[in-house]
Amino acid sequence: MSIRFEDLTVGLDIPPLAKVVTPEDIRAYAEASGDDNPLHQDDEAAIAAGFPGIIAHGMFTMAHLASCLVRWVGDPSALKRLRAAFRAPVYMGETIIAGGRVKSLEPSTRTVLLDVWVTVERGGTTEWPIKRSEAEIRLA
Amino acid sequence: MNTALEGKIYEPVTLEIDAGFVARFASAVGDDGSFVPPTIVTAPEIVAGLDHLVADEDLGLVFSRVVHGDQEYEWLRPLRVGDVLVVESTIESIRFKGGHEFLTLRTEMRDAAGEMVVVARTGLIVRGES
Repeated sequence: MSIRFEDLTVGLDIPPLAKVVTPEDIRAYAEASGDDNPLHQDDEAAIAAGFPGIIAHGMFTMAHLASCLVRWVGDPSALKRLRAAFRAPVYMGETIIAGGRVKSLEPSTRTVLLDVWVTVERGGTTEWPIKRSEAEIRLA
Repeated sequence: MNTALEGKIYEPVTLEIDAGFVARFASAVGDDGSFVPPTIVTAPEIVAGLDHLVADEDLGLVFSRVVHGDQEYEWLRPLRVGDVLVVESTIESIRFKGGHEFLTLRTEMRDAAGEMVVVARTGLIVRGES
């Protein structure tokens, strides 16, 4: 399933993608990415840095955002640019929800710019592990 | 950090996007493995960039206070299994603001033919001692 440029409108929300973050996910990500910062593996190191326990890699959360975009587009090669601003930590057991909204459409190049984000519900408020970020997608 | 290192280019690292690596990374990020996950380039970026920064005694980066502030990837063509990437990182800027230090690292990834495949930009924040 792929989206069509002609079907898109400014303001359209893309389907959100949710995922529960587990210590096993973060261990697998540390091994696959080579990011072995103890903040993501060792509770004591994370507590010493002021967190209640280990936190997810920002890049793990950004990878989830990329997955959300690729699933929506249906074509991984359409993703041309992705910028993420990391603004809140993600703790184990939390549910990250990636989302986005069409910001502008350029018919001559079939380029779609989106506002994108990742949220977490924590203690009754919405936190923004990725906030005010941007994706550029070019459709065939 | 030592601002004299702005513009420093680190030794390039060569890394193959082989099938096993794609399968491991896709599994770790929850993709089905039918394509190369776009953010797989984080791995070569760490080897060619962050690992060099941390090991660079002239730079004076205090890794225990580093927070990842921003990240950008630009893919100039899709990644393919079997791509051999030559990955080179440059310290683009080092700034001080509000008691914190900010380092921007630019990483270029070229294929075996020398064509640019990915340009990455990483913003690191070194939190000041409060």
